Amino acid sequence: MNIALTVNGRAHRLDLEPRRVLADVLREDCGLTGTHLGCEHGVCGACTVLVDGEAVRSCLLLAVQCDGRSVRTVEGLAGPDGEPHPLQRAFSAEHALQCGFCTPGFLMLAAGALESDPTIAADPERLRELLTSNLCRCTGYEPIRRAIQRALLQDTRKPPERSQTGSTAAIRPASPDQL
Amino acid sequence: MKPAAFDYLAPATVREAVDALADTSRHAQVLAGGQSLMLELHYRRSRPDLVVDINRVRGLDRLDVRDGALHVGALARHRDFESPEVAPGPLGRLLSLAAHHIAHPPIRALGTMAGSLAWAHPAAEWCAMAVTLDAGIELRGPTGARVVGARDFFHGPHLTARRRQELITAVRLPLLGDTTGIGFAEHRRTQASFAVIAVMAALTVFDGVVTEARIGLANAAGTPVRAYAAERSLVGAEAARPLSGPPEHHPFARAGGIAAECDADPRARPYADVAYQRQVIAVLVGRALNQACEDLRRLSGGDRR
Amino acid sequence: MWHGWTRREDERLLTGRGRYVADIVVPKCLDAAFVRSAVAHGRLREVDCAPARRVPGVIGAWSAADLPDLPAVPRAALTDLSTPQAVAGREWPSLATDRVRYAGEAVAVVIGADRYRAEDGAAEVGVRIDPLPPAVSTVEALDGSVTLFDGRDNVALEGSAGAPIDEAVWREAAVVVEARYRQQLLLPSPMECRAFLAVPEGGRLTIWCSHQAPHRLRDELARVLGLAAERIRVVVPDSGGAFGSKSATFPEYVTAAFLAVKLGRPIRWIEDRAESLVAATRGRGQDQRVRLAADADGRLLAFELNIDADVGAYPQLGAGLPMLTASMATGAYTTPLVHATVRSVLTTTTPTYPYRGAGRPEATYAVERSMDLLAHRLRMDPAELRRRNLIPPERFPYETPTGRRYDSGNYSAALDLALKTLDYGRWRAEQAQRRAEPGAAPLGIGLSCYVERSGGEAAGLHEFAGLEACPDGTVIARCGTASSGQSHETTFCSLVAGPLGLEESRVRLIEGDTGEVAEGVGSFASRSAQLGGAALRQAATVLIGRARERAARLWGLPPGEVTWSGGTLRSGAGEPVELTLGDLVKATGPLRVDERIRAHTAFPFGAHAAVVQVDPDLGTVRVLRLVAVDDYGVVVNPMVVAGQTRGSVAQGIGQALYEGVPYGEDGVPLLRDGLLDYLLPTISEMPPLDMAETITPNPSTRLGAKGAGEAGCIGMPPAIVNAVADALEVTDPGLLRMPLTPDVVWQAAHAGEGR
Repeated sequence: MNIALTVNGRAHRLDLEPRRVLADVLREDCGLTGTHLGCEHGVCGACTVLVDGEAVRSCLLLAVQCDGRSVRTVEGLAGPDGEPHPLQRAFSAEHALQCGFCTPGFLMLAAGALESDPTIAADPERLRELLTSNLCRCTGYEPIRRAIQRALLQDTRKPPERSQTGSTAAIRPASPDQL
Repeated sequence: MKPAAFDYLAPATVREAVDALADTSRHAQVLAGGQSLMLELHYRRSRPDLVVDINRVRGLDRLDVRDGALHVGALARHRDFESPEVAPGPLGRLLSLAAHHIAHPPIRALGTMAGSLAWAHPAAEWCAMAVTLDAGIELRGPTGARVVGARDFFHGPHLTARRRQELITAVRLPLLGDTTGIGFAEHRRTQASFAVIAVMAALTVFDGVVTEARIGLANAAGTPVRAYAAERSLVGAEAARPLSGPPEHHPFARAGGIAAECDADPRARPYADVAYQRQVIAVLVGRALNQACEDLRRLSGGDRR
Repeated sequence: MWHGWTRREDERLLTGRGRYVADIVVPKCLDAAFVRSAVAHGRLREVDCAPARRVPGVIGAWSAADLPDLPAVPRAALTDLSTPQAVAGREWPSLATDRVRYAGEAVAVVIGADRYRAEDGAAEVGVRIDPLPPAVSTVEALDGSVTLFDGRDNVALEGSAGAPIDEAVWREAAVVVEARYRQQLLLPSPMECRAFLAVPEGGRLTIWCSHQAPHRLRDELARVLGLAAERIRVVVPDSGGAFGSKSATFPEYVTAAFLAVKLGRPIRWIEDRAESLVAATRGRGQDQRVRLAADADGRLLAFELNIDADVGAYPQLGAGLPMLTASMATGAYTTPLVHATVRSVLTTTTPTYPYRGAGRPEATYAVERSMDLLAHRLRMDPAELRRRNLIPPERFPYETPTGRRYDSGNYSAALDLALKTLDYGRWRAEQAQRRAEPGAAPLGIGLSCYVERSGGEAAGLHEFAGLEACPDGTVIARCGTASSGQSHETTFCSLVAGPLGLEESRVRLIEGDTGEVAEGVGSFASRSAQLGGAALRQAATVLIGRARERAARLWGLPPGEVTWSGGTLRSGAGEPVELTLGDLVKATGPLRVDERIRAHTAFPFGAHAAVVQVDPDLGTVRVLRLVAVDDYGVVVNPMVVAGQTRGSVAQGIGQALYEGVPYGEDGVPLLRDGLLDYLLPTISEMPPLDMAETITPNPSTRLGAKGAGEAGCIGMPPAIVNAVADALEVTDPGLLRMPLTPDVVWQAAHAGEGR
C-alpha cells in the first residue's frame, strides 16, 4: 500500500504492508533509529513521537494510518541549524538520561505537551500525570522532571545542580510539617 | 511482537465501513483508537484478515448534547472527556474524573470511548460508566441501525452484543440532573496500571434524602457491574457525608458492603483474591458516595457549572 | 555547534544519533525469532518446522533435532559461580532437545527476511509437549516429586559460610528472633531488551551485542563455536541498560551466532518485551530462614541464615550467587557468631542471573528485617539497637565470621547522618501523635544499615586499561569495561585528562570492543570505576613517566630533570626547552602504555531510611520520604554517582512494593499483558529522596573509589518493609512478603481480626 508521510519536514513516499507499525517504518524505511521500541505494547513510551503535533505511541499506530500526516521524531527536535532544543539542553544539564534508550520518548512526550501548553511545566500535578506515561529504568525520573521544568525556563546556562539533596516536595511531603 | 499480515481499508463513510464489515467470510476488525487493538495485534491474539480503519470516516468524532443526552461519536477520544466542559452539569464532572484515570495522555490522545466499549475489558472505566449511566450504544450493521442498552451490551470479558458486521457509531449518555452529585474512586497498584477496582457513583438528593442512586463497578466481575442492590439500599437514606470514612452503620458503608457482597462477582487475580476485591469494592463505594455528597454540598454552595 | 553538553554521551543520545544494536544496518541481515515453550515442564514430543519453512520470507526454521551440531549454552567462565559439579548432567541445550524445563524455553528458531516474517514462521511451527508437573518453588522442588534432570536431584549447589553455631547459644540467649523471608524473583527489565547481531565475514565473526562483559562473551562463543578467540570480535555499541541481565552467553546468542556461521549471513536477534518477560534473566529468588540472638541489652550474639534459592531450570550464574548472600550475612555488625547455609535449588522457571545487587540485597534484607524484629522484641529504638552493634571504625580491616575482610568504614557516621537528614526524632513524634489519634493513617519509619561488596570476587579483581598518545596531541584511552549507561566516556576521560593536564575533549575512550581493547573483565558488581577507573589512573601515571623518560633521552638529561605539567614536558635544567605530548610522539614515535591493575574487593556501605503511610482500608503504601546515605569511597563524578543512587533506589522501591512474577498452577508466569502485569515504578511511585554521603576511601587503590550503583537495591527494600511493619506494628514477619502489594499489606494490617 502506498502512503505519503512527512517526517521532520521531509516528504516520504512509501510502499508498505498495512501491518507495519509506524515505529518500524520510521526506523527501517526512513532510517530514523532515534525512535526506540521498548515494549511494543504501548506501556513504556520509548517510541513516543509527534503525529500532527500530538505525542502518541508509534508502536500503537499502523504506518498506513498516518497517510498524509506529519510526524516529528527526536531527529527533528533540534533547530534547522543544529541548535539543540531547550529540552535537549535541559536533559543534559540535569543528567536526565543515563543509557538514553527511553530518552527520545520522554523528549517527544514533553515536546508535545510543552508546545501545546507550556503551563504544564509549572503545574506539578499535571506534569506528574504526563510523565507517568513513560518508563525509565535508569534515572529514577526526578532529573527528567527537573529537566522539563528547566526547559520551560529556558535557563540552560545554569550549571547542573550539584547538590545531593533532591526533593519532590511540591508533590509529596518531605517532612511532617508538610503533611 | 509483530502483527500478522492483514488487509487494510480506510473507508470515508459509515456506509462504506459497514459494507467492509459485511463480508462474513473474512474476519474483519474495526480500528478506532487502536490503543487496545494494537496490543492484541502485537501479541497475535487478534489475527484479523481485514482491518477497517474508521479514523477517516467523517463526522464520527462529534460530541454533542441533544435530547437530554451527550452523543459521543465513535471517534471521540478519551482526552475529549478530560475537561468537565464536555457535558453540562454532573455528567461532565463525572466523565472528567474518570477520564483522568484512563491510561495516560498519549493513549488518551487516540483511544476512544466507543472502542473501549467494543473491547469490553472488565477493568475499563468507560464500560462501567456506560452501565452506570444506562448508556445507549448505537450500532450500524448491514440490516440497519439499532440501539442496545448498556445493561444488555456486555456479555463477558471481551464479549458484547455487537455483531461482527456491526459498527458502534455512537454512545448516548443521558445527562444527570443538577441535584445529582457524582463521585469516582479507583484503586490501582501503580498510577500506570489497570484499575484493581474502580467505582463511580451518582446520587440524586431531594431534601437531604437520596431519591436515586447509581453505582457502577469496574473490574468487579467478568462484565461491568451495576450495583443495583447497593443502590436500592440507599434510596430514602439520609445523604450526609460522614466526617472521615463512613462508620459501619452509615448508609454509605452499608451500600459498600452490599455492593461488595451482592452486586459484585469478583474472580481471583494475582495480587487480589476475592476477599480483597470485596474489601476494595466496599471501601471505594463508600468513598465514591462520600465524594458524591461532597459534590452536592459544593453545588448547593452555588458552585454550579 | 553547541558545546554545552554535560556528558560526552549526551549529544548523540539526545539527538537520536545513539547507535544501539537494533539500529545497526547491515546489508542482507536476517532476523531470528524463537518458538518458545508455553509449558513449564514437559517431554518434548515433536517440533514440526516444515510449515514454517513454507511461509513467504522465511529463510529457514530449525529445531534441536535439525541442528545436531548446535552447541549447548556454555558454563559461565566467571569465578566459581557455576561449578562443573553443578553443571554436569544438567546441560542447557540452546534449543530444547527432549525436555522443556521452563515456560519460555526456546524449542525452535526461525530465520526470516525481517522480524515480521520470522514471527510469521514461528507462528506456524508445530510443537507437541506432554506436560510434566511443574515445580516453581523451592518447596515443591525439594519434596522429591519432580526431578528436572534424570539421575540427579534438584539441588545444584550446597555451601556455607561461617561455622555452625552451638545450640546452647540459642538456648541461653536472652532474646532470639526467628523469621522466614522471601526474596521474590525480579525481572531486571532494562528498557532495551537483549540484542545480538552476528556478522560473518571471511572466516571471522563480528558480534554486536548489548553486553556487560564483551571479552567473556567472545571467549565463551569462541569455545562453543570452535573458533579461535581472535577470529571473533565483540563490539558493544550504545546499550539500553543492563543491571546485571546482560552479562552472560545466552542460548539465543549461541543459536544466532551458530546459524550466522552456518548460513554465512548476518543474523540478528532483537529480543522483544514479550520474550524478555518470560525468557530473559531473572534475579533474586530466595527462601530464607533466620535466627538472631542477642543479650538483654541488645548486643548481638549470633545470626544464622539458611537459604533455599530457586535458581531456575539450569544451573547458571545464579546458582552460585546465594553464596555471595551467605558470605555477606554478617552485615554491618559485630555479631561474633554468624553461620549461613545455601542450597541452590533447580525449579521449572527461567534461570536466575545477577540482577543489580546480586546476592547483597538478599543478605541485607535478612539481617535488617531481623534487626527490626529484635528491636521490637526488646522494645528498643531500632536506631539505637543498630548503633550498639555496628562495627566501629577502629576495627577495620574487619574479618567477618563469614569470611569477608571489610576494608574500611565508619558505619555509625552513616547512620547518624541518615537520622539527621531524615529528622528522625520529628518523624517519631509524628508517629506517636498519630498513634494517639483515632482514625489517623498509620505511619512507619524503617531503617537499614547495609554493607555491600563491590568489584567482584578474587578471580575477577583485575582490569585492563591502556593509553595511547597520538601525534595530534590527543590521547586514546582503552578500558576493559563496557558501559550500559554509566557515563564511562565522561568519567573515564576526565580521570585520564586530570593527571595528564589535558582538556577532557583531548581524551577519547574506546571500550566495549574486543578488537580494540586487548583484554577486559567488564562492567558488573559496581566495578567499573573501582577497577577500570583505577587502572586508567595508574596508566596515566605510567604514561607521564614514560614521556618524561623519552624527553630526557631526547634532551640528554636525567629523567629527574624533566617536568610534566599541563600536558607539556619541560627541561628543569640547562637550556629551557619544552615539548607537548603530541610533539614528543612526532619526534620519538608511538607512545602507548598498557596497564593491568589488581585490587581487593571493596565494601561500600551506608544507611537508608524510609517513612511510609499506610491506608489500612486498601493496604496502599505511600512512601512519604526516603533518605539514602551512601559511602562509595572517593567519588569521581558526583553527578553520575547521584544518578546511580537515584536509579538504584527506584529499583529498590520496585522490589519492595511493585515487582514480582506470579505463577499459575500450571507453572507459567501470569504476565499475559506484559508490562501491564509486571509493574515497573513510574514517576508517580517515586517519593522524595534525599541523598547524602560520607567518604571513606578504598584503601586498596590510589584512586580510592569503591563501587557505586547498586546501593539503592540493597539498602532500600528492607528500609521500606521495616517502615511498613512499623506503621502496622506487624510482628509476624511472614505477613509482609515482598512485593508489598496492597492486598498483602491489607491482610497484614488485619491479621488476627479473624478474617
